[in-house]
Amino acid sequence: MARMGLATCWFMKTVEQEAGAVARGLRQRDPALLDYLIQQYHYRLFRYLLMLTGSRAEAEDLFQETWMRVLEKGHQYKPRWKFETWLFTIARHLAIDFLRRRQPQSLDALLQPPGTGRHLEIEDTGSPSAFEQAFQGEEAASVAAALAHLPPSYREVLTLRFHEDLELEEIARVVESPLSTVKSRLYRGLATLREWLKDIYP
Amino acid sequence: MREDIHERAVQLIDKLQVEGLAVEERAWLEAHLENCGPCQKRARETERALRALRSAVPRFDLALVMATQMRARIRARELIENAAGMRALWISCALSWVLGIVSAPLLWRGFEWLGHSLAISRAVWMTGFALSWVAPAAVVGAVIAWRHARRANATEMR
Repeated sequence: MARMGLATCWFMKTVEQEAGAVARGLRQRDPALLDYLIQQYHYRLFRYLLMLTGSRAEAEDLFQETWMRVLEKGHQYKPRWKFETWLFTIARHLAIDFLRRRQPQSLDALLQPPGTGRHLEIEDTGSPSAFEQAFQGEEAASVAAALAHLPPSYREVLTLRFHEDLELEEIARVVESPLSTVKSRLYRGLATLREWLKDIYP
Repeated sequence: MREDIHERAVQLIDKLQVEGLAVEERAWLEAHLENCGPCQKRARETERALRALRSAVPRFDLALVMATQMRARIRARELIENAAGMRALWISCALSWVLGIVSAPLLWRGFEWLGHSLAISRAVWMTGFALSWVAPAAVVGAVIAWRHARRANATEMR
């Protein structure tokens, strides 16, 4: 137990030191650090943006913009936050701005679950959507087809929880919503996903 | 009563994945699942759905990473150069402010003498004095505004 405590302590210290180094590098706009961060987080950021926007092309555009914003706002990063939490928050703000320009309505209306107003859904044309095509393999495309039926607010929390393994409090910080909202979206998202996948994998 | 038990099991199956379970909850759920087929099925479906979600791998073009790294390097250089320019601007602004305060009495006397010598009205040479005093700040303000406008344009173009 004491050994585990020490190990946790050491891990926490290492994480803090790393976050401190990232914060210093971002303040100095260190290109080598930026290269490293882009390399390290590219896939996770892209997956999050894809889940949020439902469009590969938009996710690619926002991917670049997010890193530019990281560069410009780097001095605002505080080492007490996990870098990925801050990164996803920036990406989310950019995605919301982008979606607002595309569909001029409020953020709430854009990301809200169905039945509560107009929300951003992936168009169902019968053939595989761009979202489904953005995934590798047949099985992944089936999952993508199920995900395409979920509202972005559900997809977003599902990916933050089950892909990124973020804590619920961290998710609440990223999506700027109360913990209870995050939990309710997760439960509903999971239930909907299970229902859709039940048909695909009976 | 039995309905309630299954309902609780169903809730705990989801809670296990979303929030995690307390030791007693986990023990209760495990004991329930051992004897309940429909709830076992539900747990399996939930695990399968999450496994499928986790295994969904989007295609990613690595060229995007390289393009972004290149763009970030160029932008970092621009920002560092801009910051250096702004620093120089603020230092010269501060110096000019200090010099302005220190030299204000002398400048005042100089303008006064010039006004008398050239027989210019008091209002005119006082206006001249005021203009000469605010000129550095006005120039700095104009430069900053111009730089902001240029940056906004560049961002919009991107």
